[in-house]
Amino acid sequence: MRRFLDTLYWGAGWLAALSILGICAVVTLQVALNVISRLGGTGVNFTIPSYADFAGFALAAATFLAAASTLRHGVHIRVNLLVQRFPPRLTWLSEVAVLAVGAGMIAIATYWTAMLVGESWHYGDQSTGIIAVPLWIPQIPMVVGLGLLCVALVDTLVEAIRTGRPVLIDEGDA
Amino acid sequence: DTWDFPTPYGDGIFHTANIQQFAEEVEAATDGGLDFTIHSAGSLFPHAEIKGAVRSMQVPIGEFFLSRLSNEDAAYGLDSQPFVATSYEDARKLWEAQEPVITELLAAEGLMPLFSVPWPAQGLYTTGEIETVDDLNGLRFRAYNAQLEEFAALAGAAPVQVEAPDIPQAFSTGQVEAMITSPSTGANSKAWDFLSHYSPINAWVPKNLVVVNQRAFDRLPEDQQQAIMDAAEAAEQRGWEMSMAEAEEKTQELADNGITVYEPSEELVAGLQAIGQDMLETWDENASDEAKEILDAYRN
Amino acid sequence: MSDPATFAVLFGLLIALLAMGLWVALSLMVMAFVAMAFFTNAPEGLVLATTLWGHSHSWPLAALPLFILMGEILLRSRLSEDMFSGLAPWLGRAPGRLLHVNILGCAIFAAVSGSSAATAATIGKMSVPELKSRGYPESLILGTLAGSATLGLLIPPSIILIVYGVATEQSIARLFVAGILPGLLLVGLFAGYVAVRALMNRDLIPVEAGDFSLMEKLKASRRLVPVVLLIAGVIGSIYTGIASPTDAAAVGVFLSLILASMSSSFGWAEFKAALMGATRTSCMIAFILLGAAFLSIAMGFTGIPRNLAAWIGSFELPTYALLAALTVFFIVLGCFLDGISIVVLTTSIILPMVEAAGIDRLWFGIYLVLVVEMSQITPPVGFNLFVIQGLTGINILRVAKAALPFFLLLLLGAALITLFPGIVTVLPNAMGN
Ligand code: NA
Ligand code: NA
Repeated sequence: MRRFLDTLYWGAGWLAALSILGICAVVTLQVALNVISRLGGTGVNFTIPSYADFAGFALAAATFLAAASTLRHGVHIRVNLLVQRFPPRLTWLSEVAVLAVGAGMIAIATYWTAMLVGESWHYGDQSTGIIAVPLWIPQIPMVVGLGLLCVALVDTLVEAIRTGRPVLIDEGDA
Repeated sequence: DTWDFPTPYGDGIFHTANIQQFAEEVEAATDGGLDFTIHSAGSLFPHAEIKGAVRSMQVPIGEFFLSRLSNEDAAYGLDSQPFVATSYEDARKLWEAQEPVITELLAAEGLMPLFSVPWPAQGLYTTGEIETVDDLNGLRFRAYNAQLEEFAALAGAAPVQVEAPDIPQAFSTGQVEAMITSPSTGANSKAWDFLSHYSPINAWVPKNLVVVNQRAFDRLPEDQQQAIMDAAEAAEQRGWEMSMAEAEEKTQELADNGITVYEPSEELVAGLQAIGQDMLETWDENASDEAKEILDAYRN
Repeated sequence: MSDPATFAVLFGLLIALLAMGLWVALSLMVMAFVAMAFFTNAPEGLVLATTLWGHSHSWPLAALPLFILMGEILLRSRLSEDMFSGLAPWLGRAPGRLLHVNILGCAIFAAVSGSSAATAATIGKMSVPELKSRGYPESLILGTLAGSATLGLLIPPSIILIVYGVATEQSIARLFVAGILPGLLLVGLFAGYVAVRALMNRDLIPVEAGDFSLMEKLKASRRLVPVVLLIAGVIGSIYTGIASPTDAAAVGVFLSLILASMSSSFGWAEFKAALMGATRTSCMIAFILLGAAFLSIAMGFTGIPRNLAAWIGSFELPTYALLAALTVFFIVLGCFLDGISIVVLTTSIILPMVEAAGIDRLWFGIYLVLVVEMSQITPPVGFNLFVIQGLTGINILRVAKAALPFFLLLLLGAALITLFPGIVTVLPNAMGN
């Protein structure tokens, strides 16, 4: 189970990284085409239709798909100035409380974004650019990423309860 | 009751001023029983999310740019189809043909249109005078939707995607050399800082639409519903007049600030209309039956 | 409940959540959710979903991960190390030495990027490890970075000036031009402060090795060539019109990859590490932005900022008193809202009262950005603080303390443009009407 979950977070993290590379590739290609159009003069022109829309969708995918892996690597930041000075037992308790609140909040977010996707799908909402994209498609990674973040929070909560100590080590504290 | 009312445009835009007055009239007619908090300039929801927010009753009422929805049904986009309706009179006729169809389309989403107000007709902004369509050949032309991309291609111009806030920079650096937009947008962005020529070619007359959530509306007592309908009718009437006044005022402002404002030559108009005709033929191949119905009704 | 009471309850809740150690993004989200559930009639779940979607796919935001990736590549290819070694001989005698790289680096980067988070993340990735290893005092490293990164908002291009320009129907080109001189003024204030600190305490700043002849300096400068090429390429791509400001971020990644691949120390492993690092850092920042956006919408529904602004307007203060009151108001809001939210939530109410007081709306935009810059470095919600904690692991309160002098310098900057409004208006007026 441990290995399965870690692989899941890792895989989603890599999909996110590929999305960012995708933004980079599309935009760089468009800039290269701009240069060619400039040099080629009249009649030579190329554009990647709706490339700004696609870059935006890829950004959303990257943000949500990376969330679980970002959490497990301790990169999501928090203010633990106070908590660190607590006695160990209290530190552990507050970690459990924080993970529970976080899991609850993200569960709510996952549920309602899933509802939003359902609505986009039901009404056939489309993007407004040159290429019409049914909005539920780029919205899917949002729900998947939030769902995975929720799993990661619950996973960490279970681990913290079982081991009796905080699990996550924030980057920089290590 | 207080209704949150998100709009995409700023307080100084005549559309927002018109909505402000609509709100005041409803408040007066209902003795404060129903009042509005107007969230202008996309301060509550981004423009793209307003329709969905009204549909799912996050807010009961909202405004958006009608032809944004043209990818969902061509019926929404006819007012942004170049050289179909080019005067206020034609635009009025087109809206009369559009309204029943759009009302039915939106009803399927639980929305009811209240009133629709046009922007001034769209003119041609360039860095030099354009005498015939041939002069557009090879110019880098701003395109932000499929229609404009097709228009540019047919005119032999190079379509360039530029987001609205980047326009001044894009002109200054030569990234674009021509665009079509309203005299309002041109004057508000101080177009004289970065280009020199404007021609009121009246390419199309796009509209904003105010919609209300049907369930939210049905929950109101009858007198409040009536107050909204009355104020909406007045707002539509007033909005069209404000738009006409705006067109003159802003064109004058462009001229006063040193932009060469010139009437399009007959050759230019003829050339542009030929392009419009070509585009309509492509449009016809992809348009829904409802959309074609609108065009037939408009033409007869 | 009255507005001040609601405000106090929500603020207390936010502090409690943060103090418990709940992640910043989630603290903002929970606080906004509670605000919507208890103090408005709007359906909080649906609004949350709309916000998460509506604010996550914006095109200008796409530059953020790309700039962070560029910073990661420069760091891992040692190009950033070369930059400092090349500059060291030149700045060896300047009071404050390489700390000025932080300030000037941010100023140059601000001419490419429209956000202060991207500026802090990109420059900080390179400069913090380098300055630390050279023994510079932590408080000044963090302070100069936190303070100077706010220039991303003022020096064009600027996302926040675009938002203000759209909301108030003004020429964005003029707003951009108006930001230039105040931006340079702040650069001068920051550099001057560092110099004064260095002169007051000779042992504060570590000595850079040895005296250099001109030949040696020029020789060392060869190491600056790649970075200069990179900066020229990115800025050049914007000003020749082949790339929009957002496009330019991708040009930056592309060029830095080419330059890095020419150095022997950058291989496939470094590239993978840079990409994963950038993905996580930008995820962290984007989540905080989403939390802040949801809080902003929740505040829009509750109407608290609007009512507070209207309350200030009800006193009908004279010009200077009004500006002083607004400064305090923005600083208080800035403690828990981000800059763009403040502008978006309050301009509708504030602009009419400002114009009634005879204040120019162009000038006011720059003043607003300057004041909003301060909110980037005030706890508990300050974006530059978050980014720097993310980079260094140093707690935001310690970063905020290091940034305090720069907060005061921003305040001084605001006072200076109020006393000498020409600093703002002279360049745009030169453009004509
Ligand atoms: Na900037
Ligand atoms: Na702050």
